[in-house]
Amino acid sequence: MKIVVTVKLVPDPNAVRRIDPSTKRLVRTGETALNPFDEYAIEAALQLKERLGADTTVTIFTMAPENMKESLRKALAMGADDAVMLSDPALAGSDVSVTSYAMAQALKKTGFDVILSGALSDDGNTGGVPGALAEYLGVPGLTNVRKIEEIGDGRIKVQRETDSGYQVVSGPLPALVTVTMAVGEPRYASLKGIMGAKKKAISTLSAADCGIDRPAGSDGAKMEVVAIAAPKAREKAKVVEAADGPSGAQAIFDFLRERKLV
Amino acid sequence: MRDVIIFVEHSGGQTRKVTFELVAEARRLADALGGKAHALVAGAGSAALAQQLQNHPLDTIFHTEDADVDKFLLDPVVDYLEAAAKITGPAVILVPNTMLGRDVAGRIAARLDAGLASDVTELRVENGRVQCIAPKLQGSTITTCAFKDGDYGVVTVRPNAFSAQPQATGAQLVALEKPSGKTYGMAVESDVEEATGEIGLEEAAVVVSGGRGLGGPEPFETLLKPLAEALGGAVGASRAAADAGWVPYSLQIGQTGKIVSPQLYLAVGISGAIQHKVGMQTAGTIVAINRDGTVPIGETADLLVVGDLFQIIPALTTLVQQAKTAHT
Ligand SMILES: Cc1cc2nc3c(=O)[nH]c(=O)nc-3n(C[C@H](O)[C@H](O)[C@H](O)COP(=O)(O)OP(=O)(O)OC[C@H]3O[C@@H](n4cnc5c(N)ncnc54)[C@H](O)[C@@H]3O)c2cc1C
Ligand SMILES: Nc1ncnc2c1ncn2[C@@H]1O[C@H](COP(=O)(O)O)[C@@H](O)[C@H]1O
Repeated sequence: MKIVVTVKLVPDPNAVRRIDPSTKRLVRTGETALNPFDEYAIEAALQLKERLGADTTVTIFTMAPENMKESLRKALAMGADDAVMLSDPALAGSDVSVTSYAMAQALKKTGFDVILSGALSDDGNTGGVPGALAEYLGVPGLTNVRKIEEIGDGRIKVQRETDSGYQVVSGPLPALVTVTMAVGEPRYASLKGIMGAKKKAISTLSAADCGIDRPAGSDGAKMEVVAIAAPKAREKAKVVEAADGPSGAQAIFDFLRERKLV
Repeated sequence: MRDVIIFVEHSGGQTRKVTFELVAEARRLADALGGKAHALVAGAGSAALAQQLQNHPLDTIFHTEDADVDKFLLDPVVDYLEAAAKITGPAVILVPNTMLGRDVAGRIAARLDAGLASDVTELRVENGRVQCIAPKLQGSTITTCAFKDGDYGVVTVRPNAFSAQPQATGAQLVALEKPSGKTYGMAVESDVEEATGEIGLEEAAVVVSGGRGLGGPEPFETLLKPLAEALGGAVGASRAAADAGWVPYSLQIGQTGKIVSPQLYLAVGISGAIQHKVGMQTAGTIVAINRDGTVPIGETADLLVVGDLFQIIPALTTLVQQAKTAHT
């Protein structure tokens, strides 16, 4: 079984984020990291590989500038077999629509039985890519999966989280699956994994290699950012030290009264 | 893009407040664009819901009772939404920013080669173009995006961002035909409800959320639930509480849970990690109860009461209940 994990490379989640007012794009400062939500997808993929045995492979796929290549080593050190990058200056400034289309073109080229993705990206945070990607690929999208119950013989059965609980869904492969954090904490890379990752292949595809023949990057984007602003600052909180339960409760009650909330 | 279509999320014909918020916003946008406002309702219970929607300011209500919509994951409903969009022609499609809504939005955007704007809290029309305003980067930035020229645009809208305005305008009911040549593979075998609350978390006017400070599942039942009931709200939780198995994940607020925007948010025994704040920082009023006066929730709250939640909550519940009985 060929598993492909889509991984977005994002600015260090612990670094301060800001948007450049002139380009209206995210300023990428600090180290580049794997989108934390995609680490769960990698974990789920490696669990499947353990379950299904040796002829199952895990390929990491990212669309990112080529100079971020080395950031993929961490995913390889966790246990993925190889990685493919879609890198092309023409793709800079892509929105959800162009990103999903371009990724789909590349993934048709690499082939897959199942694609695992994170539910959202730490920087984009729209969660729009996986659904659109599945659509461009013409495969079903199983989102918010907390458990892959069965996989094999061309079929998959999962438990997916819903707004009010969960659903059991089954159907044919190939399919795209987004996972939630419930699949299990991402494993740490072992020393052996880190050494081995240095020798694993990371190949690169250009837009032309994948037959991307429509306007890409900011030219092809369907949306543009026209303004950015800071959110309205909230006033500093009123802090009340409660001597005991009743006085704390009274302080809250009075505050809610003042604001006509009770 | 002159018309507006809303996707109506429902379960067996029961819909939520966000639907009526979307209708009101669709009407306003359509009027500003010089177009019409439509709705799509699909699945069991749609015919009755479509009639109910006639009390709201729409021009057309597309509906179908096709059983495939509930039997198979996502594809049938997207096919019907596409069918509606093909009938209306160029349009902005408004979808609630819920788990199902996000799935529908990504798929229909790709299907129609449309732009997608997510978690939008305000919409504007500038020179005939639709602009979407949304918080980004964990709420640290507010961006305004505009659809470029194109036939369709898709927007997921945050619940509680707009107010509903019921008004009957004699909407026409249009039953949709089953799209031909489609077969569906992803079957929904079972659907299990885990959340106990009556009110949907995203649309509750009051959310009382508990975190690790509650120490176990019982205080959610014995402390938070009575307070939420007295305030006419719903119970939420931090990820820590959900991870510990004290409450189902469907109650989780935050980046990987639900994004809520109630009039009042009470954070009880929650420290206020950035991933939690993403899900609640646009609430009207935020009150935190924590025994530690230095917690990050203090930066977002309007009122931080430093004290023991186990003492404060029961006393507060009594005060709210008394105020209610005094009122009635
Ligand atoms: C990728 C990622 C995504 C995440 N997504 C989410 C998300 O969507 N939602 C979310 O909530 N978290 C999320 N988290 C986790 C988040 O970082 C925090 O770990 C979590 O929110 C902490 O939950 P808490 O505030 O309940 O617990 P804690 O941080 O442990 O806080 C408990 C608080 O209770 C107080 N307390 C204890 N006892 C009492 C008492 N008797 N009376 C009063 N106060 C008391 C303590 O002072 C403390 O401040 C995510 C993390 C990651 C890495
Ligand atoms: N440039 C990218 N390269 C690889 N995967 C991506 C990229 N952008 C988004 N994804 C995938 O789509 C998921 C959701 O991202 P988003 O829609 O941006 O929130 C991520 O968790 C990734 O798995």
